Amino acid sequence: MSDEFKKKPFFRRRKSCPFSGKDAIKIDYKDVRTLSRFISERGKIVPARITSVSNKKQRELAKAIKRARTLALLPFVQN
Amino acid sequence: MSFYEHVFITRPDLTEAQVKTMTEDFTKILKKGGGKIAKEEYWGLRSLAYQIKKNKKAHYVMFNIDSEHAAVAEMERNQRLDDNVLRIMTIRVDELEEGPSAIMKSKSSGDYDDRRPRKFDNKRDDRGPRRDDRGPKRDDKAPADKGEDK
Repeated sequence: MSDEFKKKPFFRRRKSCPFSGKDAIKIDYKDVRTLSRFISERGKIVPARITSVSNKKQRELAKAIKRARTLALLPFVQN
Repeated sequence: MSFYEHVFITRPDLTEAQVKTMTEDFTKILKKGGGKIAKEEYWGLRSLAYQIKKNKKAHYVMFNIDSEHAAVAEMERNQRLDDNVLRIMTIRVDELEEGPSAIMKSKSSGDYDDRRPRKFDNKRDDRGPRRDDRGPKRDDKAPADKGEDK
């Protein structure tokens, strides 16, 4: 893990992936509200290192975000 | 028969009735090829996240389709010929979604264009606003971890 997490006294570790486990949210390219939680203010996809999404779900999430982008539900670049 | 989710976007200066007739024409083509429309949704005139052919808003229509590929391809071909259709997307899915889609649910719950409600996520409290020009993280320069896990 990167050093930044060790040095900060405030532990910001999210326990688990928000998409895995029971009653998890389904990843859907139409669900703009959920997807917009995982893009930055510029519209870039936030890395899993920060959101603690599991590897497999991060790939599905990225695919869903890219589909939403082609449908103009999410921007490519946001100003 | 395979399941597909199909979304198409039309120009905003069409009226809702015109969009409806367009939808019916396309469904007719699909049915002629032996396909079934499991669900049809009109998402309304939405603002686009970016301009498509200089349009800032557009009509969105979604189908859930159960059909052979040939019928879907024929419908898409006709859609591409239509000048009013701006964009088409067809996705093959393993199972069709029951009930209203996420867009219809968020419309009925009344928040419109609720894309970035918070400027600062709780993840970034002590770091300040995200700066995209910061450059690569200095992971390679960090000393070896003492086994601290995520």
